[in-house]
Amino acid sequence: MSLGLFIQLLVNALTIGSIYILMVLGLDIILRGTKILNFAHGQLYMLGAYVLFLFFQTLHLNFALSLVLSGASLALIGALSYLGIFAVLSRRFTVSTTFSYILLLSAMASVGLMMILQQGTLLVFGTQERGIQSPLPQIIDVFNVRISLMRLIIIFLSLLICICLYLLMYKTTFGKILRAVSYDPEAVTLQGINTSWVFVSCFALGSALAGLAGGIIAPLFSVTPSMGQNIIFMSFLVLLVGGIGSYRGTIAGGLLVGLLLSFGFQFMGGIAELFVFMLVIIILVFRPGGLLGEAAE
Amino acid sequence: MKLPNNGANHKTNRYKLLAIIIAVAALVVLPFCIESGYIKHLIIMACIGTILGMTFSMLYSAGLITLGAAAFYAVGAYTSTVLVMYAGLSFWVALPLTVMISAIMALGFGALFVRNAGVAFVIISLIFAQVIVIAIGQAEFLGGWGGIIGIPRPDSLGPVEFATKHDFYYLILAFLLLVVVVYTALYSSRIGRAWRAIKLSPNLAGTLGINAYRYRLLAYVIGSTTAAVAGCFYAHYFQNITPGAFSGWLSIYVQLYAVLGGLEFYILGPAIGAVIMTFVPEYLRVVKEIEPIITGILLLIIILFFPGGILGTIRNSANVSFEGFDARVKKIKASLTGKR
Amino acid sequence: MVLLKIRNVTKIFGGLIALRDVSFDVNKPEILGLIGPNGAGKSTLFNIISGFHSADKGKIIFKDEEINGLRVDQIASSGIGRIFQEPTLFMQESVFENVFSGFHRRYREPVWKAVFYTSGAREEEVTKKKRALEILEFMDLISARDELAANLPHGRQRALAIAIALASEPDLLLLDEPVTGMNPSETMAMIEKIRRIRETGITVLIVEHDMRAIMSLCDRIVVLSLGIKLVEGPPDKIKEDERVIEAYLGKQVV
Repeated sequence: MSLGLFIQLLVNALTIGSIYILMVLGLDIILRGTKILNFAHGQLYMLGAYVLFLFFQTLHLNFALSLVLSGASLALIGALSYLGIFAVLSRRFTVSTTFSYILLLSAMASVGLMMILQQGTLLVFGTQERGIQSPLPQIIDVFNVRISLMRLIIIFLSLLICICLYLLMYKTTFGKILRAVSYDPEAVTLQGINTSWVFVSCFALGSALAGLAGGIIAPLFSVTPSMGQNIIFMSFLVLLVGGIGSYRGTIAGGLLVGLLLSFGFQFMGGIAELFVFMLVIIILVFRPGGLLGEAAE
Repeated sequence: MKLPNNGANHKTNRYKLLAIIIAVAALVVLPFCIESGYIKHLIIMACIGTILGMTFSMLYSAGLITLGAAAFYAVGAYTSTVLVMYAGLSFWVALPLTVMISAIMALGFGALFVRNAGVAFVIISLIFAQVIVIAIGQAEFLGGWGGIIGIPRPDSLGPVEFATKHDFYYLILAFLLLVVVVYTALYSSRIGRAWRAIKLSPNLAGTLGINAYRYRLLAYVIGSTTAAVAGCFYAHYFQNITPGAFSGWLSIYVQLYAVLGGLEFYILGPAIGAVIMTFVPEYLRVVKEIEPIITGILLLIIILFFPGGILGTIRNSANVSFEGFDARVKKIKASLTGKR
Repeated sequence: MVLLKIRNVTKIFGGLIALRDVSFDVNKPEILGLIGPNGAGKSTLFNIISGFHSADKGKIIFKDEEINGLRVDQIASSGIGRIFQEPTLFMQESVFENVFSGFHRRYREPVWKAVFYTSGAREEEVTKKKRALEILEFMDLISARDELAANLPHGRQRALAIAIALASEPDLLLLDEPVTGMNPSETMAMIEKIRRIRETGITVLIVEHDMRAIMSLCDRIVVLSLGIKLVEGPPDKIKEDERVIEAYLGKQVV
């Protein structure tokens, strides 16, 4: 393998890896904060791409501004979905409700949301692909390797979002409460904090991350209604590999899966996904909680 | 409220027996009352759906939520097809072989999967189902994404033939009834009690000596093998199979059957859910563009407002009216004695 | 006769020493109290004995066999039952079904016979049902047998937890704060029950904050403080021990 190909595959791996990381961080925040395994996450990602398409391509706003707007719109959509569906559902649960019941009903509710968002988007935007003109179409040349500048920007932006998220979760009171809720909601309630808005924020934050992931990737791939369905499986896979409830695990898992897929597709073709799944099984044999996760639930 | 098993008196038992006999008789007579081949087809599909729904319920009874009901359904369909079409075996030889192969597969994969109960198992089951579909799609000798066509109907057993929908219905009905009997026996034995205990409180179950891992694995193997047999019947009924028929959507529909009918009713719940979910979308076809939206909204309405499903809602309203009655009697008694 | 030997048990949680070199014996049949201020390591020790944690160092020998590191269900099968501090029941089931689930390890008929419901299995079910009713009678729960566990008041939930444990026929019963949160008359009744449980030959190891209850109930008491065993002896001796008073009142004295 030539150095050029290697670098190109590496950059591709980092690009898709960073998108997975953003997706899975969102999934994980929602899962731990609100106990919802969010099947609609892929659709939120897709909506993020469509919102960016609207602001950037149709209204000709600045790319950075469009991206922020797509994150914000998705936070709003997420918050509304939570209030409209999951907040109503959670009122049914009591102390003695079994975990599997909560998990199943929340997941099923998110499947309902998924169906509505998916088909709704299809009705509004139709099935055709929407291309977004890349804001940075330049190709840069590193050691005679041609790399699209946009890919580097995607990696950079993802890193930036991860850092912001870290600061939010570990350096602010808001983040402290959010983390506390994911460990022990009752204790937080006893502290006199109203947990219901925390749950809404968790869902909104997770949705915003999905929206940002969709918005960032939109200029690279075209925007289609099926883009959400394709990414959700891999996102779940990364969640498992990294381990539920571990930020570092998520990042490691995202990069690992990104690398495997990027190099795998180059050398194995279509069975790369199978190969990745085999690897996940092997990882789970030795570490049931994922790479860096705590013990399995 | 459920009465303890010892509370059931002979009268209710006799009514139950009567209801079961009537239901079975109705199912046996059913195809004679229906002319349309298409309706017969839907009934057969509803039977298969019921079986799949019951496998979901079996895993749920042990506290495992599977989104991969379609995985072993596909394994069964393809295994049997390969055995019959490539190895030239009779359907009746392929069937037990399919059971064995899928049971061994379920044991192997299940041993790895059920170590992670909770969220991890949900995801793993979903991904596993998706991977089975991709694997079949990639495998050229299994027909790839185009699938396999021209699968023969089961060979006749002496004078009994299975060539028509009418005949095939009895075959699938026999299997359905077998599954119902076996599952009921399991649920009412101490295996079923152990499953419930694991679901309701894994910690307490542990302190009573219940090995959660082994019992979950048992549920996984039984459920998966049942689904594989259902797949085998499907393949030889529908006569062509494609990987697309076993996608993640099918698994989601399967859990919809159980939730819609009533999660706490492991046998009747999936049956009612499967019948409704097989027939209603057929009549929603007129509005095909918004059919998923309607299904999604229906799903949300059930989960938000009728979380007990159809049967659970019926039972609760019956209980409420009883409780209301009790409360009124108490009130009247209290007013008579002049206390409280 | 020594039923349970705890030898040099040490448990460290992320650098924090929860238990250090704890050793004591539990004889059959006695009621042994385990007391100590909050954070003394009582619950950790319970969790180690019943298999929810494993000791980092030391041995736990039950009926002459090492049980440290075994799974929860293996330890339960060897004859150790426990109730939890927080209400842990099969909440969505009736009181009767709760007790019935406790029999899991106590069937003689093989499991396939139970599935096929042979006459032997049927007879066994009948005897188990009778036994369940006896246990409910004993714990004064017979009147509530059809109620959902979740709907019981706190005191009766505790009683039900013990009833379930009794159904599993343990040799050693670990009780984690059985009377905490009960009113005096409930406490008295529960103490009486625990005495009678011991009379049936079941050894009881009990953690409790209600000092009056534990002093009147226990044959011997082990005092833990900050993960270390302070003293062990009969209640009268413990009451007067300087170190125990200091451990409980430490801050105020200094």
